[in-house]
Amino acid sequence: MERIDQELLESKSTDRVASRLAGYLKPYIGKVIFCIVLVLLLTALELIRPILIGDGIDTYISGYTRPYAVVENSDIYYHGKYLSQNEEDVEKATSFSKIVQENDQYYYYENLSKDELEQPLKNGTRLTSEELKTLRKQDIDGMVSIGVKYVIVLFFMLAFSTIQMLTLQKMGQDIIYTMRKEMFHHVHSLPLRYFDTHPIGKVVTRVTNDVESLNEMYSRILIRLFQNGTKIVGYALVMFLLNRRLALYCFIFVPIISVLTYTMRTLSRKFHREIRSRISLLNTFLSENISGMRLIQIFANEFKKQSEFEDKSKELYGAHMKQVSVNALFRPIIYFLSQLALALVIYVGAKDVLSSVVTIGTLYVFVNYISSFFEPIQEMAEAFSTLQNAMASAEKYFSVMDEISPIVEKEDAMELKNIRGKIEFRNVTFAYDGEHDVLKDISFVIEPGQKVAFVGATGAGKSSILNVLERFYDIKSGEVLIDDINIKDLTLDSIRRSIGMVQQDVFIFTGDIETNIKLFDEDLSDAVMIESAQIANAHTFIEKLPHQYKEPVSERGSTLSSGQRQLLSFARTLAHNPKILVMDEATANIDTETEHLIQDALEKMMVGRTTIMVAHRLSTIQHADTILVMHHGRIVERGNHQELLRQDGVYKKLYELQLFSA
Amino acid sequence: MNKKYTLRHYLFNQGLFYSLGLLMLLIVDYINLYIPQYIGDVMDGLTSFSYGLQDVIHTLFVMLIFVGIITLGRVFWRVFIFGASRQVEKQMRNDLFEKLLTLSQTYFNYHKTGDLMSHFTNDIDAIHYAIGPAVISCFDAIVMTTMVLYKMIVYVNLRLTLLCLIPMAAIGIGGYFFGNEIENSFSAKQEAFSKLSDFVQESISGQRVIKAFVQEKNQDREFSIVNKYNLKKNMDVVKLMASVMPLLEFVIGISYAITIFYGGYLAITAQITLGRFVAFNQYLAMLVWPMIAFGDAIISFSQGRASMKRLQEVFDEIPHIEDSANVKDIRTLHGNITFNNVSFQYGKEFEDSLKDVSFQIEQGETFAILGKTGAGKSTLVSVLARLYDIDRGSILFDGYFIKDIPLKTLRESIAYVPQDSYLFSDSISNNVRFGKLSASQKEIEEACKMACVHDNIVDFPDQYETIVGERGVTLSGGQKQRCAIARALLKDAPILVLDDSLSAVDTDTEDQLLDNLKKIRNGKTTILIAHRVSTIRNANHILVLEEGKMAEYGTFEELMAKNGIFKEMYDKQQLEKQLQGEEPWKE
Repeated sequence: MERIDQELLESKSTDRVASRLAGYLKPYIGKVIFCIVLVLLLTALELIRPILIGDGIDTYISGYTRPYAVVENSDIYYHGKYLSQNEEDVEKATSFSKIVQENDQYYYYENLSKDELEQPLKNGTRLTSEELKTLRKQDIDGMVSIGVKYVIVLFFMLAFSTIQMLTLQKMGQDIIYTMRKEMFHHVHSLPLRYFDTHPIGKVVTRVTNDVESLNEMYSRILIRLFQNGTKIVGYALVMFLLNRRLALYCFIFVPIISVLTYTMRTLSRKFHREIRSRISLLNTFLSENISGMRLIQIFANEFKKQSEFEDKSKELYGAHMKQVSVNALFRPIIYFLSQLALALVIYVGAKDVLSSVVTIGTLYVFVNYISSFFEPIQEMAEAFSTLQNAMASAEKYFSVMDEISPIVEKEDAMELKNIRGKIEFRNVTFAYDGEHDVLKDISFVIEPGQKVAFVGATGAGKSSILNVLERFYDIKSGEVLIDDINIKDLTLDSIRRSIGMVQQDVFIFTGDIETNIKLFDEDLSDAVMIESAQIANAHTFIEKLPHQYKEPVSERGSTLSSGQRQLLSFARTLAHNPKILVMDEATANIDTETEHLIQDALEKMMVGRTTIMVAHRLSTIQHADTILVMHHGRIVERGNHQELLRQDGVYKKLYELQLFSA
Repeated sequence: MNKKYTLRHYLFNQGLFYSLGLLMLLIVDYINLYIPQYIGDVMDGLTSFSYGLQDVIHTLFVMLIFVGIITLGRVFWRVFIFGASRQVEKQMRNDLFEKLLTLSQTYFNYHKTGDLMSHFTNDIDAIHYAIGPAVISCFDAIVMTTMVLYKMIVYVNLRLTLLCLIPMAAIGIGGYFFGNEIENSFSAKQEAFSKLSDFVQESISGQRVIKAFVQEKNQDREFSIVNKYNLKKNMDVVKLMASVMPLLEFVIGISYAITIFYGGYLAITAQITLGRFVAFNQYLAMLVWPMIAFGDAIISFSQGRASMKRLQEVFDEIPHIEDSANVKDIRTLHGNITFNNVSFQYGKEFEDSLKDVSFQIEQGETFAILGKTGAGKSTLVSVLARLYDIDRGSILFDGYFIKDIPLKTLRESIAYVPQDSYLFSDSISNNVRFGKLSASQKEIEEACKMACVHDNIVDFPDQYETIVGERGVTLSGGQKQRCAIARALLKDAPILVLDDSLSAVDTDTEDQLLDNLKKIRNGKTTILIAHRVSTIRNANHILVLEEGKMAEYGTFEELMAKNGIFKEMYDKQQLEKQLQGEEPWKE
């Protein structure tokens, strides 16, 4: 629960998030305007559709009411006469015919004078469908032309909405592509310290899922908000012009609906955030337990893990249900309010109709409009709730983007060129958490080409020396110098490029052996790769793999043994040809046979390079020119092997324990 | 196909809520048809001057009562159906995890964590959509369509209705076609997304290497490839959607056009009245929403189907390793282990990792396994714990075949310290307790003392409550190994396996740890995998593996006398000491 609260606190000002989100739209402003125009055109076409049908009804279906003039020649020939409905002909003619509708039947009257046209008629001939077809040829043609226009409108709508959707969706995809790119880049600029406190699973969610939920916002929600906003304003305007009093009664509900929407929006947002947190907790759990499945099964603790998972799953379900409840209440309540508004308008309107203040027609229009008026408001509320989800994700996104690396290069940072490989620590004090010092007042100098070994019990601070040297962490006080330049005056890239690190945990990337040696560096040639592998004594085992350098490997796929991984990491380091070599317990985890391969490789690697080693094994230490003995974050002894043994101190003790442990 | 995991089964479990929800939906739809009628009554009454204000109030009052019922109905069907779909979702999630727990290591070697995780998030989410919102759209659409069609045929004209239904039928056929298409492109999109997740996950996990080798720019470039691929697959879906949705509206529009052409002709030639022509247009309008909802539902259904198919694959996965039907009722093992000509390979494409390995371990023995990297030491432990089944030969515990022993008994009898000393992101005490869930704090501390890690733990500010791993402090390799040892010691099983678990432990600690082991493992079987001869000083028997084969086997003295690999290793280590000008290593 603490975690959730913490996440809730992480939220920052919504406005700022909104304006930053808007910033991503900037490059697409032309497209956005284009789509707004398309949407306006679409709305206009949408309105034309019923007008066309209305036209058809008024002009053609009801077209029989126009009288027929008897003319000398026309395309309507009925009962031995040529008939015309053209206004000019009707104007000139003296003899007329007429169709009258009575009880859904059509009757034909002929030989009428102009005066008789205006009078009620009796005893006409009833017309059959066939006769009507002849007589009303013009109406039928007219209706066909309306139909053709209608289909044309449909085609335009099809084209406009396809283009509009494609453009916006493409834009949304492009934006999230960019956001992902920026986020990924940013994450790699964050210091290791950040990941000590932020689980990897969570950071991954930021790059993947959180960004994903922003897509919807860019591609659909914003345009819908615009469209509905236009509709609401339009309807309100028309209603107000028709009848102020009735319009005002309708508007009473607007603040109520707005307040309700706002409440719902806040709640929905809160629950959505909880859901996201629960999902990310569940994901972290999954990722870890799938990786540790072997252990769960060996310890036969499936049941315990299942119940832990079910607890997490249930919490997620609970969070989902909270959101379900809010949503379940919201829409029906809005429906109830809109019907209440309708009833109120009818009541007030009816009173006015009864006292003849308002015509029944106006009331009819209001009854039709009120539902059209509330529809976009509801839709907007829906869009808002989606928007809120997106905002919640956006906040998380920006909270990572705002994370500033405390390890900053100076603006005028220098490139480390033609490095000799001198390393110096001057009174370095360092703590991972800022409080508990793991390095205390450390000073030493390593001359170019020298080989120095750090020895000490676990937790003495040996690995921290390396972390600080590569500037993965910044020190509290003191100075770290490479070639007599403070590393804070150097670019991070050039520091790290000049140092080759062989790590305790060899990380294998999914790909093949080649990617793992070259590390995606396209500039490295195959020749360099193979040569490095040969020096690292890795070539032999790689050659034996079914696909040699193209053999697929992955972190979890346990195809490589730890010794092979170690040799591979040597090859990786060598391929990048660093001037300073740094090894962190490189010889741990290795059997005697491979250890000999490693020792041999090491000797070859160390030629012409400054080397810092952290190791427990005497076999590694024996290569060192100088041994620095660390104890509780301090350097307590220094010298070569023989000197140190003579000192009869910590080193002697460590050495004897190792020697006499058998 | 396992019935328990079919969608039908899940839905059936929630049958009551679904039927209640759908019933309410039906009632709401039905009453809803009456609402316009009340308004019509008022309007007609006002037009013909037959209604007074009292009548208006009365009618509106009745209408509002129905509106109230509809409102409540809508609240409840949402709770029922959405609740049920969330419940199904939860159940599936739990079942899926339970299933994963039963699958063998082979499965996890071939399936990436990221892929498996996307089943829990994306796939289950898509299924939820299909069985929640989509069900409602679909049901609502069917009910509405039926009611409207009835009115169209009876009240207006059968032929006109049929003509207008032609485009609508095209929607059905097209829906089926596009449904497949969408399903495919949706799967491709999901796949691209999980590829992206995997890449990010791995890149962040390996960021230390990336930083150290200044590979950030190359990572950016690599990422842009997966990112672009994901973009492309998304665009494929988008293009489909952007053509399907407007096309749907277009087709519905065609129905209107047919009404204008043929309906207009019918009206002009007095075969239907003007009023019915107008009404027909309104009915068509009432069909639009259900059709679009139906289209949406079809898409959701096909996405759900694609996801369900992927889940089904996991559910159908046969746990290669499970108790056979004729498993014997064995509750405890004593720690006698026999390997008879055991051979094993990880897969057909691989060479044998173990070849004809035979040996015997008596209860209480300390048994050491030595060998080069890749010689098959860890594999041997894996088949011992039956993480994999062997291909040839037999493994016996106390004279029982391994397959006759309940898996639970077998694994409860083995305490294991993995090579990578994997710990969960949890407190230290919970991590150690993993070895014995019922252990008291005192027992945990005792185990930690034996594993020589107690002193380190109490040095942490939160001591035993210190959270380790991603979310907490980072332990050193040695500390991790010793925590993992404490976890195994706490289990106090008849068989203890240490898989190269002392490599990162410094020598004085190792010395003490081995002494502790000797004491507490008295009378119990201990298997040690090691590289250093010093580590195996207490071993009764030593097995030397080479390329999966037994190279040498015997007691220390026997192996020394054999003058083989072991002797060679021993001599090499001797030589090292001598090179340093120190006294030779001695027994």
